[in-house]
Amino acid sequence: MIFSKEKTTLAYTVEKCTECEKSRKRDFVQGDVLFTKSSNCSFCGKVTIIEKIFGEILER
Amino acid sequence: MGDDTNPLMMLIWILPIILFVFYGQQIQLLVTSGEIKKGIKKLNGFRLNSKTELIDYVKDNLNPASDPTKKIEQFLDYFTIMPVDMDPGGIVEKVRHTVRSREDYTRNHIKSLSPGISDVELNRVQTLLEIASSLQMIHKIVNHMFLTAKKQKNYPLILPVQMILPFLMEHAEAMKSSIPAFKTGQPLGDGIGPMVVGKMMLDAEKEIISFQTALAKIEYEKRKLFLLKAEGPGSTVGRPDEALQKIVDDNKIDAVIMIDAALKMEGEDSASVARGFGAAIGGIGTEKFQIEHIATQNKIPIFSIIVKQSVKEAITLMSKEIADQADNVRSQVYDMVLENTAEGQSVVIIGVGNTAGVPQ
Repeated sequence: MIFSKEKTTLAYTVEKCTECEKSRKRDFVQGDVLFTKSSNCSFCGKVTIIEKIFGEILER
Repeated sequence: MGDDTNPLMMLIWILPIILFVFYGQQIQLLVTSGEIKKGIKKLNGFRLNSKTELIDYVKDNLNPASDPTKKIEQFLDYFTIMPVDMDPGGIVEKVRHTVRSREDYTRNHIKSLSPGISDVELNRVQTLLEIASSLQMIHKIVNHMFLTAKKQKNYPLILPVQMILPFLMEHAEAMKSSIPAFKTGQPLGDGIGPMVVGKMMLDAEKEIISFQTALAKIEYEKRKLFLLKAEGPGSTVGRPDEALQKIVDDNKIDAVIMIDAALKMEGEDSASVARGFGAAIGGIGTEKFQIEHIATQNKIPIFSIIVKQSVKEAITLMSKEIADQADNVRSQVYDMVLENTAEGQSVVIIGVGNTAGVPQ
């Protein structure tokens, strides 16, 4: 279609700190699994847990 | 204004009328054929794409001893003959047996490709095989209906194909789009039920109660909660009906709460949450039948919470809107427990759906 936009789904991972409860959204990387430990919190340095993995549609 | 009686003008008007009277159906057949041909071409693309993705995935991740292409192609043509339903007595048992035999066969077939395969990987390949096989079947059926109508030059025969094609295309496109999520182990829209229950299970001790189905027991406001979901993070829906039977055999259950994704109606918002009664579970119906049977026999009320979504949302990577509902649904589950049970009572909470990418 001439006027339809190309749609791409981008996957994101949301990490939530177990201590300060701050969330951070980053790109999904292969191996990310819900409820597993992820990187350290950028605010308090404690471990974060993967809270959500979802896709957002980008229209170009 | 002498044109009204001009014989040439009359001919210009009458000729198309005669043409449409005698050849109307053939013209319609030609126009409709063009649309259907486009659909079939697209379906063929989906079919080939899913097959290539599956073969590449097996070659890259399973390290098969020999080239798996021939074996996979053979498997894609396997069919399932459903039991005779002229005498419906006992049909559910027969359907369950047929479907489970096919599932067992598929698993063994995949294991033969790579004997050391892990359960998560096995479930993933099994799902990819089912997708490729379904897309092959859809293409085959639509193509058959189209070619039959064309061969017979029968316009009414092509009408059902034209009517059903947009729905089939929606399903086929959803299946095609789900492949990347399954390959990378990402949660699907259908995984909202397992996601809600999986989080409730996190700190509790887990056991495998039936095939690919996990159980955890927790206390909440002096009530005993039996939490059930398919064993994640592999791509499976587990066997909640068998698990419920085992729980009910050993415990007095006062309520069952089921959380599932449900197809939204046109005009409804995606990710909207609704509460209701009855068993919220999809599939071919054997598990729903069994759960209803257990509940009826033991006089247990079934409550359900559904998160509405489209076909595509249900089997592709979970959307942000659906993921954002997880906490809301969880709090609604706790509300439901308090509203419908008294202290000391027991509730089974089932997170229904494909648990791909959702552990517990």
